[in-house]
Amino acid sequence: MADAPQRARGEAQYTADVLLPGMLHAALLRSPHAYARVKKIDVRRALEAPGVHAAVGPEDVEALTDEPGFFGAPVAAIAANTVEQARAALELIDVEWEPLEPLLDPDEAVRRGQLTDEPRRNERGDFERALADADVVVEGEYRTQVVLHNPLETHQSVCRWEGDTLEIYTSTQYIWGIRSRVAKQLGVEPDNVRVVCNYMGGGFGAKNDPGEYTYVAAELARRTGRPVKCALTRREENLAAGNRNATIQRLTVGARSDGTITALGGEFVNAVGWDGWIAPTDGPMQTLYHCENVRTVTYGAKINTAPMKAFRAPGYVEGTFGLECLLDELAARLDVDPLELRRKNYAHSSNERPYSSKNLMECYRRAEPHWERRHELRTRSDSTWKYGAGLASQIWYGGGGPPSYAWTRVGSDGRITVITAMQDIGTGTRTAMAQIAAEELGVPLDRVRVELGDSARGPFASISAGSSTTPSMGPAVRAAAADAKRQIIEIAAQRHHLEERVLDISDGNVVSADGNLSSPLEEIVGLLENAQILGKGARGPNPTGMQVLTFGVQVAEVAVDVETGEVRVLRVAAIHDVGRVINPLGASSQVEGGIIQGIGHTLSEQRLLDPATGTVLTQSLDAYRLPTIADVPEIVCELIDKPDEHLTNLGSKGLGEPPIVPIAAAIANAIRDATGADIHSLPITREEMLRALEAAKQKQRGAPAAV
Amino acid sequence: MELRQPSSAEEAVGLLGNGHVALAGGTEIVPLLRDGLLRADALIDIRRAVPRGIHGTTIGAGTTLAELEVDPGIPVVLREACRLAASPQLRAMGSIGGNLLQATRCWYWRLDFPCYLHGGDRCHAKDGRHDEHAIFGNDVCASAHPSDVAAALLALGTMLRTTARELPLAELYRLPTTDDPQTTTLADDELILELEVPIPEASVYLKAMDRQRWSFPIVGVAAARTAGEVRLGLAGVAPVPWTLTSVDDLDRATPLPGTAYKLPIARALVARALRAVATG
Ligand SMILES: Cc1cc2nc3c(=O)[nH]c(=O)nc-3n(C[C@H](O)[C@H](O)[C@H](O)COP(=O)(O)OP(=O)(O)OC[C@H]3O[C@@H](n4cnc5c(N)ncnc54)[C@H](O)[C@@H]3O)c2cc1C
Ligand code: SF4
Repeated sequence: MADAPQRARGEAQYTADVLLPGMLHAALLRSPHAYARVKKIDVRRALEAPGVHAAVGPEDVEALTDEPGFFGAPVAAIAANTVEQARAALELIDVEWEPLEPLLDPDEAVRRGQLTDEPRRNERGDFERALADADVVVEGEYRTQVVLHNPLETHQSVCRWEGDTLEIYTSTQYIWGIRSRVAKQLGVEPDNVRVVCNYMGGGFGAKNDPGEYTYVAAELARRTGRPVKCALTRREENLAAGNRNATIQRLTVGARSDGTITALGGEFVNAVGWDGWIAPTDGPMQTLYHCENVRTVTYGAKINTAPMKAFRAPGYVEGTFGLECLLDELAARLDVDPLELRRKNYAHSSNERPYSSKNLMECYRRAEPHWERRHELRTRSDSTWKYGAGLASQIWYGGGGPPSYAWTRVGSDGRITVITAMQDIGTGTRTAMAQIAAEELGVPLDRVRVELGDSARGPFASISAGSSTTPSMGPAVRAAAADAKRQIIEIAAQRHHLEERVLDISDGNVVSADGNLSSPLEEIVGLLENAQILGKGARGPNPTGMQVLTFGVQVAEVAVDVETGEVRVLRVAAIHDVGRVINPLGASSQVEGGIIQGIGHTLSEQRLLDPATGTVLTQSLDAYRLPTIADVPEIVCELIDKPDEHLTNLGSKGLGEPPIVPIAAAIANAIRDATGADIHSLPITREEMLRALEAAKQKQRGAPAAV
Repeated sequence: MELRQPSSAEEAVGLLGNGHVALAGGTEIVPLLRDGLLRADALIDIRRAVPRGIHGTTIGAGTTLAELEVDPGIPVVLREACRLAASPQLRAMGSIGGNLLQATRCWYWRLDFPCYLHGGDRCHAKDGRHDEHAIFGNDVCASAHPSDVAAALLALGTMLRTTARELPLAELYRLPTTDDPQTTTLADDELILELEVPIPEASVYLKAMDRQRWSFPIVGVAAARTAGEVRLGLAGVAPVPWTLTSVDDLDRATPLPGTAYKLPIARALVARALRAVATG
């Protein structure tokens, strides 16, 4: 890790560490009702409270509302000398609420036509006909719950006006997005908005937009002439900072008796919340397997819950759980091996456009030894503990794209600085970018420094979402390094009267092909004295007419206590195809992180609401249960590491999201393998596990299964 | 808010009551104060007033869970109950006396809904989400007592010595009623000083959690065989720590729709615990 010393020594400056002279602290008044109208609001008493400098309400900041549509919607804000004073003053804001009847049931919202958007329909072939002709049809209803991002660093910004320029220190996944969104919202020139994010404590998709905390801080800073920090508390983080929406998935698969899938159908209800977009829950069904007849419809239910936000492979995590469980139920019905079933229905060429590269078959091959372990594993079962293995495939985006730019600067000391106004969201980006530049320039890694995190000090860079940081920024950095290298070689050629084509840089030396010249880089660039070599690079386009996707498969091993419903995940083998791997250590930690976060989604995490009022019941981390280190299984990570020949000068795809996509289904399928119980709902709490076991028992006895 | 640090139990008792509240490790009381669930004019730090440490079968109420979980002289059931409770940080601060007096984790109560336990006139959990709630003693309040430690101490037949009396642990607790929401019988100015814990012939603590660590008990079952007699203590099943005389008592459970799943878990864990402490 290029920045390990800074992180270890506590020198890395996160937004949470930003302390500006004279800085005030803001606190937000949030709606105690899931749905209400603010009939009157009066901040006068609050303004008189000790330490208070300013207050804003719905008329002052657009991100504040007088018709809160979810519990915790931001309504007003106060700036004070200390955060305690600001919070105390919130109690003095007089609000007259008119509570309205909240709608919390997503199915009911669909029935009433209360939708966030037009339903999304996707159809190819003739689904009905194929279903009628199928030898076997399996149907199932699957449900996934609301889970929360809970990054270590809560959502926060510090805003300061310097004349007509707004400086925003913010914890974000998209410096340039914040710049343009805030500029537009406030009606200022984008160049008058400077966004800084040096180190960042995680976002997982919830920090792509400015958020009310940024707008509130900007307005309070404008009114007070002082810098203002607005940082969400952990509880606010659990209320209103985004979530992975719940889904209800009613799925159908039709197949021939040899296992060929002939029809796939799905009705997906995304419980979007009061605002948000329809994540592609239908995506895996549309794209994972070869199938000519596919029909899906996805509804975005508008209900009185906090808006969803992108969360690590939004839609695909939920949709893969449903589809891959359904496929295993089909495999069980047909008595075919689940891995064979997936090979049989392999999508060799895309249903629309060719893949830039696809090595999923190779992933399946590499999964075999892990999959074989299930025979031995099952023999460990006794009357209480049942052992089994399950697998699930993964498909997702991750190709990145233009525009993205980087500069390189080579000083006369032969040291290289990579400059780009991107953000490192904690995924090891500084290291990966330094590696790419070092390799291209032929210098040791410790010669390269990466300067990022400031829109005023570097060119436009891409969002860190959609697994796009490395595939978007890596090629730009590589091109910038190549540009600098070309200039260095030009100088060396002139100096030594050699042709450029015989020169190269290797291990920090400019060398000639015949070996006669080996001159340290700093000797060549040292000739320049104060002059510098400046390289610039841009991310090229993605291959036209091709789909750039990532693939993989995971095999999970579990043990289930059939008397108490305890589920233990023992081992997960994750095999992913993401093109060229830049940093194997960074890559495997992304895989581990994705699997651990996915285990939370699968087994223990859920945001619970009071069904009458829509109040969030799980506001603190002792009620909202993230996995702990004791819940982490053995994780085996294998990456195919074949550069995508069609994709950029780097051949790398992203890896942030793929590992979380298949884990829930792999675990659920392992549970079926171990116990015969069909899991249909996440999280797999004791209650759900015992219900599924009881249903399996009833089914075996031939009685209708209790639902 | 004022902080007082008395150096003896007598002095502490003199300071307690009238909005003056005892503070031990603070792992429970500080969050309650911060969340506005408890109001105090002064905190009385009792750490110099209450014994701490283990002397044979006597445990000072100020002893931390971390100290108990590693002491080989402590019965297995209590060591395990401590080891499986909370997190290492919390166990390093949290005292056994404070553990016995922790408030319910019922989310409605923690969010200050005006329910029975806050002196109101209904149980929000019964009408709403009660996934983590009780299967016994849930007529009025349906909360589930979160203390693993109390379950273990019940099974061991623990006696308490307070500044006012000696009593069996079971008598420390009472089921809340519609007109009295108290869940303990401790007076405002009464301190727990010591616990007298008999040494059993065999004991065990089994805990169902929804993750491997740092989780309150869904169901915790403690069993101890003392002088040939087996006693059971359960956590997470009733508003107070709960005793069963036999596995058949589980037939008298009154689960709610959302807590019915706890019953098979309790059955399995009780059967296992009884097997584990059986003679021969
Ligand atoms: C996140 C979290 C998870 C937890 N998980 C578990 C778990 O899984 N299992 C479990 O059993 N417990 C669990 N606990 C509870 C934890 O063990 C207790 O909070 C701790 O033991 C309390 O001790 P303390 O010394 O910090 O008490 P304090 O917070 O200081 O006091 C708690 C209460 O007891 C009173 N008090 C303290 N000592 C005395 C005394 N000697 N005499 C009279 N009154 C006294 C105080 O006035 C106060 O009302 C958890 C707690 C937290 C916060
Ligand atoms: S279970 Fe008890 S604490 Fe919870 S809402 Fe009901 S009465 Fe209140």
